[in-house]
Amino acid sequence: MAKRERFDYSRPDARALRDRIVHGAFVTEGAMVAFPTCFPAVTVPLPGDESRITALDVAEDGMVYAGAGGRACHLLVGMFHGITGMVFDLGQVPGADRAAGVCCGKGKFVAAVNGPDGGQLITRRLEPLPFDLIQEWHIARRPLERLSLPASAEPIVHAVAAAGRDTAVVLTEGRLLAVDIEAGSVRTVGELAGRGRIARGPDGAVYGLDGSASLWRYDAGADRLERGAVALPPGQWGPGIAWAPDAGGALSYLADEAGALFVLDASGTVHGPVAQVPLAPVTCMAVTFDGRLFGSAGEGMSRLFRFTPGEPIVADLGVAVSVFERRRYGYSFADAAVGRDGEIVFAENDDLGHVWLYFPRIQARQGGSA
Amino acid sequence: MSYEVIWHPFVEHPDSDSCWSLSVGPDGRIYAAACAEGVPGGIVKLVRYNDRTGGLDYLFDLDRMVDDPGDSGRATQCKIHYSFAPSMHDGVLYMATHLSGPPIDQPAYSPWNSWHDPQRCFRGSALVAFDTARDEVLWWDTLIPKEGCRCLVHDEGRGKLYALGYPRDHLIEYDIATRTGRDLGRIGSINSQVLLLDGRGRVWTTDDFGHLVRYDPAVGRIERSLTVLPHDATYQTGWHSVFYDAVASPDRRCVYAVTWNGSPRLVRLWLEEGPWGRVEDLGSVTPGHDRTVPEDYFVDHCGGLTFGGDGQLYYVASHWPDDAPSEGDLNRFRKGELSRRPVEGWLWRLDPATLVREKVAELVRPDACSQYVSRGAADRNGDLFFGHVGPRPVGLFRVVPPPERRKADAHLPIRVWG
Repeated sequence: MAKRERFDYSRPDARALRDRIVHGAFVTEGAMVAFPTCFPAVTVPLPGDESRITALDVAEDGMVYAGAGGRACHLLVGMFHGITGMVFDLGQVPGADRAAGVCCGKGKFVAAVNGPDGGQLITRRLEPLPFDLIQEWHIARRPLERLSLPASAEPIVHAVAAAGRDTAVVLTEGRLLAVDIEAGSVRTVGELAGRGRIARGPDGAVYGLDGSASLWRYDAGADRLERGAVALPPGQWGPGIAWAPDAGGALSYLADEAGALFVLDASGTVHGPVAQVPLAPVTCMAVTFDGRLFGSAGEGMSRLFRFTPGEPIVADLGVAVSVFERRRYGYSFADAAVGRDGEIVFAENDDLGHVWLYFPRIQARQGGSA
Repeated sequence: MSYEVIWHPFVEHPDSDSCWSLSVGPDGRIYAAACAEGVPGGIVKLVRYNDRTGGLDYLFDLDRMVDDPGDSGRATQCKIHYSFAPSMHDGVLYMATHLSGPPIDQPAYSPWNSWHDPQRCFRGSALVAFDTARDEVLWWDTLIPKEGCRCLVHDEGRGKLYALGYPRDHLIEYDIATRTGRDLGRIGSINSQVLLLDGRGRVWTTDDFGHLVRYDPAVGRIERSLTVLPHDATYQTGWHSVFYDAVASPDRRCVYAVTWNGSPRLVRLWLEEGPWGRVEDLGSVTPGHDRTVPEDYFVDHCGGLTFGGDGQLYYVASHWPDDAPSEGDLNRFRKGELSRRPVEGWLWRLDPATLVREKVAELVRPDACSQYVSRGAADRNGDLFFGHVGPRPVGLFRVVPPPERRKADAHLPIRVWG
């Protein structure tokens, strides 16, 4: 190997290179805001070791529902629009220490959580908008309700709300469950070995990994489970896959465990890889309104990335950092969803975890410059 | 009362720009880290004050000792940052390295930028066990892969070392017998600069918001106080009121600490009282300044807390006559463009019984301002030593107290954290 020479600070590019190394490490496009798990200056945040946020969903009104874990599991609602600005701890779930999924319905949500004794399904009515979180408020904690499971409390792998938000589809280690979110009834759809996260597909059905070479497909409306419904192209298919539905584009993105990015289209075909995420594993990703995909990837210290359809390269956007009000580095994210205005909501899976809002860079008009 | 001040530059390490660690070893001698963090490829050398010759002995280059040479192209083993920790029963001085020194062919290093880069990423904090009786490195290990060690504390009774990692700010427990580490969890984003140990084996530090943070091995979790350390409420919130330096009183009943914040605050902690101890605010230790300008923590600084043989607390705080100068003013002084030092390093002596404090000396190095003192310690002869951060080559101050205030074995009971 060639001997390395000591850097010469008199080089004309020294300052620019230094700035690129130091500042180029962090969010190079758009802006991130870390919001603590509290009503700032009014309530205290979750204990640091009970705030690893691993699941979230965004309700139709833009409110963010999330589940945090660690030594204990808490369910949260975050509100960031209008005269709000709060994350409220809806309550601790007895016997649970990790959130596997949160599914927002039209009037209620269902949270899938795990603990030493297995999985639980918890429900509650959605939180109404408060009056005014600048001057005065009247907020109470209402009880959480535990739903009865049709079989033994197997650990839950993941859960998502089906299209229409009437049904929560819950994948356990041994079966697929369908939950009527409003009625609170739970029934077994079928037995299958739950592996990895599941997602809504472009046709409204829910998809999940079926072995190592195909996807199962569940149509909640028709209550039909189809095994081996979609063949997967070669890839590293395992429990570490990540999904991102693109409702506007009638497709869903799927990342394998090596960070290769695939597309599930409306015809029920997976093709690709269409691009390669620079780091693996991809821990979460979401597609904003204009079709751009954003996510987080990498061990130990994750980095954000962007995929713009039509571009062959996945852009590395650097390490998450928040400098607006809350100054914090973000190293680990477990879930992502699209917020009311197209911002990406990230669930920080770390001690003293925050709900992070990522506001992507506004794209320049065609022919202009960003 | 006259305190003699002697400046000892690290002349055999001309790249040295910071002496972040200075501690007394289990043998009662003073050990210092001659660090080079601002030089691409810079490395740290272990230095010891020789009380027979009155000079400095250069013991070894740490990069070679841990097989991570400074010209590797990775971020270098450039410093030991508040991470000396003595072991009294076997005469070992533990030390753990820290990062920030650029790879030899790069102008800067960012651990965030290079985390996933095997060519550039810091290999990890090297934990070294140095036998002070035989001047021999017994073993070394990687304490925190990819990360530096901000500060270290030794629980000799339980055979544990505790460390704060940088940049991820995790508390690490290291079992010396098995040489295995365990990640206890993340504290926040701003490293506290010191870890304390109380009489019950509880490890204390602070988080980003000035809360006390405690790891109790009996409880097995990191806990945080709801209250915030003292700060200037006219313009601060407690954010960044993390510990900078701390020293236990000789009777071990309380701890004196100073914050790493603008207008650093001296506090006295009675950790055994109540569920979260009792915190006394002993006030700011530096002059006022224009609060429309962000404080430069290099200028507005206090460190070097140590007890002398006279049982009094000593610390070094910056002092300026008018308004806080900028770093540019310090450079202008070095170039001879200013006739007077824009900031000075004053050595203070505080009586724990009355809390009365007096300036007893000014630390003066001939070529630069000397306000930034990292750590202080008393040696077996009762002399006081202070590590300095400043222009190359940096060094340490030796302060000889008046005879009636100088006592043999002033370093005992030994400080167990860096």
